[in-house]
Formats: sequence, C-alpha cells, structure tokens
Amino acid sequence: MRLLPLFIIVAAWQAASSAGWLPKALLPSFWEVASALGALVSSGEIFRHTASSFARAGAGFAIAVIGGIALGIVMARVKAVQRAVEPVLLLIYPVPKPALIPLFMIWLGIGDVSKVTVIALACLLPVVVASFNGARSVDDVLLWSARARGTSEHRLLWRVVLPAALPQIAAGVRTAIAIAIIVLVSSEFISAETGLGYLIFSYGGVGADDAMLAVVIWLGALGYLLDRLYLAGLRRAMSWHAFAH
Amino acid sequence: MPDAYLELRAVAMQYGSGAQAVAALQAIDLAIEEREFVTIVGPSGCGKSTLLYLVGGFLRPTAGTLGLRGRPITGPGPDRGIVFQRYSLFPWLTVRGNIGYGLDEKAVPRRERDRIVDEHVRLVHLEGFEERYPRELSGGMQQRVALAQTLACQPDILLMDEPFGALDAQTRRILQDEVRRIWQRDRRTVLFVTHDVEEAVALGTRIVVMSARPGRVKQIFTRGFDVAVGDEFEANPAFTDLKLRIWRSVKEEVDAVRA
Amino acid sequence: MPLLIRIAPVALVLAAWELVSRAALVNPHVFPPVSEIALRWVALFVDGRIYLPLWETVWRALAGFAVAVAIGVPLGLLMGRVRAAEWFFEPLFSFGFPLPKIALIPLYVHWFGLFSLSKVMLISTDCLFPMVLFTYHGARGLSPVYLWSAQSRGTGRVRMLWRVVLPLSAASIYDGIQVAIVVAVLVAVVSEMVSGSTGLGQLMIRSYRFGDVRTAFAALVTISLVGYALYSAVQWLRGRLLFWHTGDV
Repeated sequence: MRLLPLFIIVAAWQAASSAGWLPKALLPSFWEVASALGALVSSGEIFRHTASSFARAGAGFAIAVIGGIALGIVMARVKAVQRAVEPVLLLIYPVPKPALIPLFMIWLGIGDVSKVTVIALACLLPVVVASFNGARSVDDVLLWSARARGTSEHRLLWRVVLPAALPQIAAGVRTAIAIAIIVLVSSEFISAETGLGYLIFSYGGVGADDAMLAVVIWLGALGYLLDRLYLAGLRRAMSWHAFAH
Repeated sequence: MPDAYLELRAVAMQYGSGAQAVAALQAIDLAIEEREFVTIVGPSGCGKSTLLYLVGGFLRPTAGTLGLRGRPITGPGPDRGIVFQRYSLFPWLTVRGNIGYGLDEKAVPRRERDRIVDEHVRLVHLEGFEERYPRELSGGMQQRVALAQTLACQPDILLMDEPFGALDAQTRRILQDEVRRIWQRDRRTVLFVTHDVEEAVALGTRIVVMSARPGRVKQIFTRGFDVAVGDEFEANPAFTDLKLRIWRSVKEEVDAVRA
Repeated sequence: MPLLIRIAPVALVLAAWELVSRAALVNPHVFPPVSEIALRWVALFVDGRIYLPLWETVWRALAGFAVAVAIGVPLGLLMGRVRAAEWFFEPLFSFGFPLPKIALIPLYVHWFGLFSLSKVMLISTDCLFPMVLFTYHGARGLSPVYLWSAQSRGTGRVRMLWRVVLPLSAASIYDGIQVAIVVAVLVAVVSEMVSGSTGLGQLMIRSYRFGDVRTAFAALVTISLVGYALYSAVQWLRGRLLFWHTGDV
C-alpha cells in the first residue's frame, strides 16, 4: 500500500533507537513519542490547544477567503478597482507575512486579534490572485449566453463569473490553507499562551523532545487531513468539473 | 411602410479605426417577417456571424439601425435567443439547471419553472438525462440542451450560429430534423447562420447569400417547396437545383477572394 | 504616463500613512512616518549596521536553497524515472508537504545549535519539498518520444537522466526554483525571528524589543527587498538559462 514506505521509516527509527544507535538525547524513540502523544490525547490537553490554534487560523482564513474572492472578482471585472488595488497588492506581496507578526502584535496586542489579522493578510494574496485570474478567463460565450437569457450585469458576477472561476479559486484557497498553518505556527512561536505552536515551542524549550515531536506529528497529520478533506469536498461540490488529480 | 418583424437598415460594421480599419459588413438591408426561417450562407469571413451578433445585441454596429418588432436593438436580451456553436452551456449546472436558467432570471415560480423545463426536456428528446452535467454529454446532446435552454426563454426570434458545425455529419442530419420538427410546431422566427449550403436549403424558407468581406447581401433565394421531417431531399430535383444555384452564387464569392 | 497611474495608488497609501502618522491619528510609536523610516533605512547603510545582518540572512537563504537544489533535483529525477525510488519517496514528500517545517525549529536548534547551521538546515528542508515535487512531476510527465530517441542512440540509464531527462524537465524544475527561493528567504527570516543570534529577522525583533520601531521597519523593508531581488534575479536568469525552451514538452 502507499503508506508502506512510511511504516518502513518508522520501523527503522524504532529499531535504531532500541539498538542504541540513536541516542535518546538526540531523538527519542518512536515509542516514546507515541506514548507522549497518547498521554496528550487522553488528558485532553492537545485538543484544547488544537481548538485555539484552529480557531485563530480558521478565522483568519475565512476572512481572507470571503474578502479575497470578492475582491479578486471585482478587480477582474471593474478596471478602476484593479488599477487602484493591484499596485498595493504588489507592494505587500514581497513582504514575508510572518515578519509582520511583531508589528501587528505591537499594534493590536499579543492576543488573538493580531494573529488572526496576520493570517488573514497572508491568506488574502493567493486567494485574490486566483480569483482575479479565474474571473478574467471566463469564456465570453458564457457571458453572452447569460446576457441573452436575461441576466443583468450585476447578477452576472454572481451567477456566471463566480461559478466559472471556481476551479481556479479553489486552487488558490488550497494554497491559503497551507499558508494559514505556517503563519499560525510562526505567530504562536513568537508569542502565545495556547495553541499547537506554543506547545511545540515550550516543550522544545524545556527539552521534552518526545512531547514536542508528538505535537509536531499531530500537527502534520492534521495538516494532511485538512488538505485531503478539502480536495474530497472539492471533488464532490464540483463534480461538474473534469478534475485531473 | 411598416417595419418588418426584424428590420436591418444600412447596417455596417467596422473593426478598428483609421488605417487599420477592417470593414466586416457594409450597408446591410434585410427585412425578415414573422415565422420565417431564414438561413444565411456565405464564404468564410463574410461576416455572417457578425451579423448574427449584431442582431443579438452583443455588438454595436458602426452604422445603420436594427429593429425587432418596431423597437430598436440596443443590447442582449431574452427576446433574441441565441444558440452558439459550442461551449455555451454552464458547466456547473445540470441539464435541468441549464434549461431553466433563463426562467430563474425571470423569477418564474418554482412549479411553473419545473413544468416548462420538463416540457423542453421532452421537446429535445433528452428524457433520462436531466441530472447530467454538460461534460457527461455528447456534442449533439449538448446542442440539444443549448436549443432547449434558448427556447425555454420564449424568444421572439431564434438566432443560431452554425450550431451544428462542430458535430459529425450524421448527428448534424438528426439535429437538423429536430430543428425542423420544432419549428414546424412553433413557427418561431429563426435566423440561422451556416457555411453548409445544403443545410441552408434544407432548413430555410429563405436563403440569404452574403458576399465576401466586406459582407453585404448578395442575393436572396426563396425556397418554393417544403421539406418535411425525415425527407430524403437529395432525391428531390427542385432541391438539388436550388442548392446548385445557391452554391454557384457562393462560389463566385469564394473565387473572388482567392483571385 | 502609464507608470504614473500604476504608482499612484501606492504613492497615495504612503502619503496617507505619512500624514496619519504625523498627525498622531495612529500611534506614531507603532507606525512611524514613512519619511523617518526611509531616513533610518539610509542611516543603517551609512553607519554600516545593516551589512552584517543582511549578509547573514542572504547567505543562509542561498546556502539552504543550494543544498535543497543539489539534493532535490537528482532525487526528483530519480523518482520520476525509477519506479522503486518513486514508490519509496513519493509518500514521504506527499505527507510531509502539509506539515509546516517551521514547526521543526526547536528540534533543529536542539540538533544544530542556535547559530547559522540550524537555520541553513531548516531552509534546506523547507526548500527540498518544492524542489523534489516540481522536479518529480516534470520528469514524470515527459513525452516518451525524446527518451526513445535517446535510447535508440545508445544512451545508458544514468546518462539518460543527466543528458535527456534533466534538460527536458528544466522548465518544471525552474518553476520549483522560483517557489524555493521565496521559501528560502521566508524561512531564513522566521528562523532568525524565533531563535536568536544574527540576521535581518533578529535585527527586526531586537529593534522592536528595544522600542526602536524605525529600525524594525527599516529591517522589514530590507527583508522585502531581499526577497524581491532574489526572486527577480531567478526570474531573469530563467530567460538566460532556458532560452531554448519552446514550451511544448
């Protein structure tokens, strides 16, 4: 099966640890990490931190997606908006968003608001770009056809441009998911009281490598699951589209 | 003199300006009566599709006027339904969704909408495919849906832009019969553009031949006989004769371009 | 004239910032006026405070990037053409992709210390993923015609990778390079922000901590310029290196 190489690696890892080739100080054995994860799960602690992490990431992500799609589509259909917004976006683009975290924390406090804002800003760009490109490349025939069936210009955006641009928008949103997680973890490293990033950072700081790695693996698994769920959901919602995955 | 159902007066279309201007159409005068099935043929690039798009309101003429039922044409609208050659169905809607699209725009109440959609599904013989998406349908079926989608809006005039051009010969024949059958039922006014002379004669009660670019109306033929559904019109000498005459007229234009 | 129109919105935003900051409509300690940031930025170059951090960040990013390319491209090519390699490595990279490698900072610090090595290792790890994946997909999607042609002219399997598969996958590999260079700068800066010592990221964080917001902003501007410059350089190089590319492989 596809997962076999992973099992092989895990097995090799455990074997190396047990045989003493891999000193515990360097890397805990797989079993130790697994036990630590088990402890975190059964105590419920990891769920608490997962919830607060994902609340932050989710909020920022949602804001970026809704705002980004709307902005991207309007930019594509109204030249004036494009001219006004595009240069500003190009200015923000080269700034690595995690570098804005300290600034936002000074400005908006060290609580959740600053983190949500940075995540939203970071996710905004890929969504806007994807929506913009998607909305721009809508086949004229579809627009003409819709107009010939009585669609007003306003409804055109909602009834034709948005659905037609959806495949490209979906790709941008997928990128945004990955970015949200990265910026989330970065912000929780820099300053947080709760969250998965906070856990990783504090366990690492006290040398509790097994717990730290447990959370890392947990985070990785969640990221993977989110991506898969997103793709599966996409396939169902857009069954009308011929996907090549 | 009262306006014809569809009236084009001195319609001209030019792309670009100044030295790079390309005249697509020059001084088109055309009068089409209600319930006519008019086909338009001509060499490639003669502007027959452009003419159709002008009637559809997707383009604005650089000169002249177009009027439908006495009112000037200023933009697209459901009174002029159009069937394109391809890729005009909304890929995210099912067959039912596509056919009902215009009805949704008019905010037709649900039950009425469903009734009309069902009626049109039956009309184009697509029972059983209502919940399919366009990508699951063959080219011929997609064009049936496009036709149903247009008819469901009850247009005053039906515009068809080489609708069967992308289909194989057999499917084309079948769909021509479908169009004929539907037209004979409704007697809707139709403006049908094609490069296929045989198709033009098979479907049209009047056939307009356009000149090479810049296009103008070269000749108008009237088909004096009927073509019934399922007819073997190849065996009809009147048909072959008319087809030959029209073909010669078109060929003159094709040769003129090549010369 | 078109250039002016394009710059206008940006100029407006900067002008608004300047005014709003000077009028203290926002806290000038959080958002100093643009002019003061610009002056500080110049000052950093004049008194030399920026050169060391700038150098540190750039060489770390490039080093990590280079390692990732050196390992990632051969690995990706191998994965693309040798079934066993594909079978073994593809799940690793597929599963590893959604994990933010930044989460490994504490682990890498533990292994490699607080200084440059851990950062370079982290950058390599992070850049490895796009390099491998883009190369792999490029090598996989090749039209067999080129390969058959080479085989019928006696090309051995190893040379095949180097002489045929590599050039043909070049466009896809370069797409990976363009992604990787951006990632490299990002990871360099974040790792510097989180785990001390030197570099532009560290300069920025330290400046915030001491309340020297102008320097922090100047560092931020420098970081952005570095990212932009490196990406543009890579972009420009593409035209030079892939001049023969027709785009229909």
